[in-house]
Amino acid sequence: MSIHLRTRHLLDRSFTGVGIVSIALLAASVLLLLAPVVVRGIGAFVFVGTVEHRKVQLDRFGHGDRAAVQAEAAKAALARTPAYTAVASFETWLATNSFAVQQQYRAEFKEVRAALCDLLGPMPDKPMPALVRLQYGQTRGDRVQVVLRDLLYREEWDYSDPTRMGTKKLVPRAPAFAGTPLAGLFPCVEQHIDAMLLPRRTFYWQFLTDGSVDAHFFGGIMPELLGTFYLTLGAMLFAIPIGVLSAVYLSEYAREGRVVRLIRTCMSTLAGVPSIVFGLFGLACFINTLHVSPSKSVLAGSLTLGLLVLPTVIRAAEEAIKSVPQTYREAALSLGAGKWHTTATVVLPSALPGILTGIVISMGRAAGETAPIIFTAAVSVGRPLRLWEVFSQPTPALPWNIYNLCTEHVAVDEIRHVQYGMLLVLVALVLALNLAAILVRARIARSLKT
Amino acid sequence: MMAPAKRSLVMSARAGRLQRLGATAARALLLAVTLVSVLAVLFIFYFVFRDAFPFFRLRGFAEFFGSTRWYPSNAQPEFGAAAIFFGSALVTLGAAIVAMPLGITAAVCLSDILPFTARQWAKPMIEILAAVPSVAYGFIAMVVVAPLLQAHGGALIAAGVWMVGVPVAGLLVVVASDLLSRGTVSARRGGAQVRFALMLGCMAIAGLYLLAKKASGLVVPSGTNAFNVAVMLGIMALPTVVSVAEDALQAVGRDLREGSYALGATRAETMLRVVLPAAASGVTAAVILGIMRAVGETMVVWMASGNAAQIPHPWYNMLMPVRTLTATIAGDMGEADHVTGSARYHVLFAMALSLLAVSFLCNFVSERLMWRARRKLGA
Repeated sequence: MSIHLRTRHLLDRSFTGVGIVSIALLAASVLLLLAPVVVRGIGAFVFVGTVEHRKVQLDRFGHGDRAAVQAEAAKAALARTPAYTAVASFETWLATNSFAVQQQYRAEFKEVRAALCDLLGPMPDKPMPALVRLQYGQTRGDRVQVVLRDLLYREEWDYSDPTRMGTKKLVPRAPAFAGTPLAGLFPCVEQHIDAMLLPRRTFYWQFLTDGSVDAHFFGGIMPELLGTFYLTLGAMLFAIPIGVLSAVYLSEYAREGRVVRLIRTCMSTLAGVPSIVFGLFGLACFINTLHVSPSKSVLAGSLTLGLLVLPTVIRAAEEAIKSVPQTYREAALSLGAGKWHTTATVVLPSALPGILTGIVISMGRAAGETAPIIFTAAVSVGRPLRLWEVFSQPTPALPWNIYNLCTEHVAVDEIRHVQYGMLLVLVALVLALNLAAILVRARIARSLKT
Repeated sequence: MMAPAKRSLVMSARAGRLQRLGATAARALLLAVTLVSVLAVLFIFYFVFRDAFPFFRLRGFAEFFGSTRWYPSNAQPEFGAAAIFFGSALVTLGAAIVAMPLGITAAVCLSDILPFTARQWAKPMIEILAAVPSVAYGFIAMVVVAPLLQAHGGALIAAGVWMVGVPVAGLLVVVASDLLSRGTVSARRGGAQVRFALMLGCMAIAGLYLLAKKASGLVVPSGTNAFNVAVMLGIMALPTVVSVAEDALQAVGRDLREGSYALGATRAETMLRVVLPAAASGVTAAVILGIMRAVGETMVVWMASGNAAQIPHPWYNMLMPVRTLTATIAGDMGEADHVTGSARYHVLFAMALSLLAVSFLCNFVSERLMWRARRKLGA
């Protein structure tokens, strides 16, 4: 049974179409992955910042002009006085009223006052709260909108339709307080919010250099960045010498036999071990048995990460060394150089670009891995480590803290911008390293072609 | 005229001996350094075995592999991990369903269909997918995909049904109408084919419409579920599958392809009936390596699988949350480390042993397949 020629051509063309569609799906998944990261991650650096943000920057980090910020704070405080007087007069009015009236307004007034403190900061006449996160109002324009909506509207659930799940409705709070001194608060805040908070476009590049204040509510990601840097550097310090020397042995000195086959099998097994098992091994061996450090530390984490990237380094270095033309070695040998001398002065320098490519790609892998460092090096809250503390202290790290902030933090929605900022920095770091490797590889290809 | 040499041109016996000693020492040192990776693997296996064994001695095998009751922190702890094994298997199956067709078609397209300039753009894209850290995948799965699934899950699945169904149905309709119109006289064959195509096309569209309607009525109770994780794991496994499969397809060489074209086959027929079967071992190895990546992945499943240690109600219902081995190890080790020596600590090593066994098996099988592919193609 044969198919008509026209149909065969149609099938051929649709096969091509299917191939193109699959590549397009790949591109779409890259876009799905990177677009939110880039767009919202930039929001951690470039955003609409309020006077509260500038106050935090001045008080906690010393950035900014003291006189200008204090003048702005005074201007904002002036704009807020109508709101505060409304609240104060409502409190006195409520206190002079009957218990029944107090019961009617108390719960909702508590919510309104909490939202107002959340928005503008603590009330001027009340004592300063202990937690830093409560000592300032909203610092970012997008959060201001969310909290303002919380102040002006109440959430209610409508369960009237029995066939569907409950729907959320926003009910304005103002009618509930009509006739009381608080009635003027809501239109006042709604119309003068810009004067109360003085929003301005901000470029917060210090996000990369500031430490975090009060569990990332304010500040930047410097401890995490430094921790990732230490871990990656440490991992490469272990993996590069061992990897390059192993590659030299395997490609120059080893004779194909049972020993070399065993070594290669072990290396490919090591490459296939799941990363969480590396973490468990690091915990059980380096910390619980060898006691390289009293408990978690950057040293243990670097050892584990070094083991993780070792197969990649060995593979890349071996390929690079094998691709050095045999004529180079023969020329050196004919000039009287010994084997080690040839390797060290002729082969390795020629293979250097390829080895560098492998090293850079492994750096990207080591920087992004989370599972090996969960039990061996990473903590959620910590200050930037000094160099000698690396041997005994754990450190925050970008990948672990991204996980921690988006699952185990107390106010996950309020610090979304920090999570996206960390993610952008990590992804940008890894992609920059890979881009460097691609460029090096292109340069090798070009030099090999000429 | 050259000045007389300061050193003798012939090495003294002692210098020769020293040099040979140096060479042997260097070689021994290099061998020792190479054995570090061997030692590392051996130690990994030793430590995982050593700490997994006490669990089986304390609690036996039946409960761990057979029971679905996972309550490690009860007063009377129960360590039934069958549901967790099932969760791992389910998300791996889902990842294979996503990665296998997509990866193989992408590899075929990359090696034979795309022109050179398009290839230069497609390869970096695949490298980007491979380079992005797994915590980024997990974050997007949890923060972007999960709310989308929960709010509009049914609509998304219906759209997927249409997107996949229309091309497939179109192809099938054309082929079927062609085969059915075999019998008619040559002059009227065109008209008969069109009639058959229209009839089958209407049936196909009706069927797709019903399927899509049923899909859009689906309610997704939780956005963090096996489906979410399976799609993400499939995307993560794609670069491995594509690159290894592409290598296997390239290794087939031009002769087979050119022979097939010379006999009048179209490109599709060449790829499907000549090249892919020739590269079958390599492509299978690629899929197995991709699956290995999916099994060992921790962060994506920890963040986006829902972490419910239960077998979903019909076993194939991927819209329910599940729990995998890797997420259990990562999540429970923090508390288990405080009770080192108890069954709760050792059960995590038992799970790690299972993972290690599966990855070793996958590695072994894929190595054998690739060796067989190299031998078959006469490397």
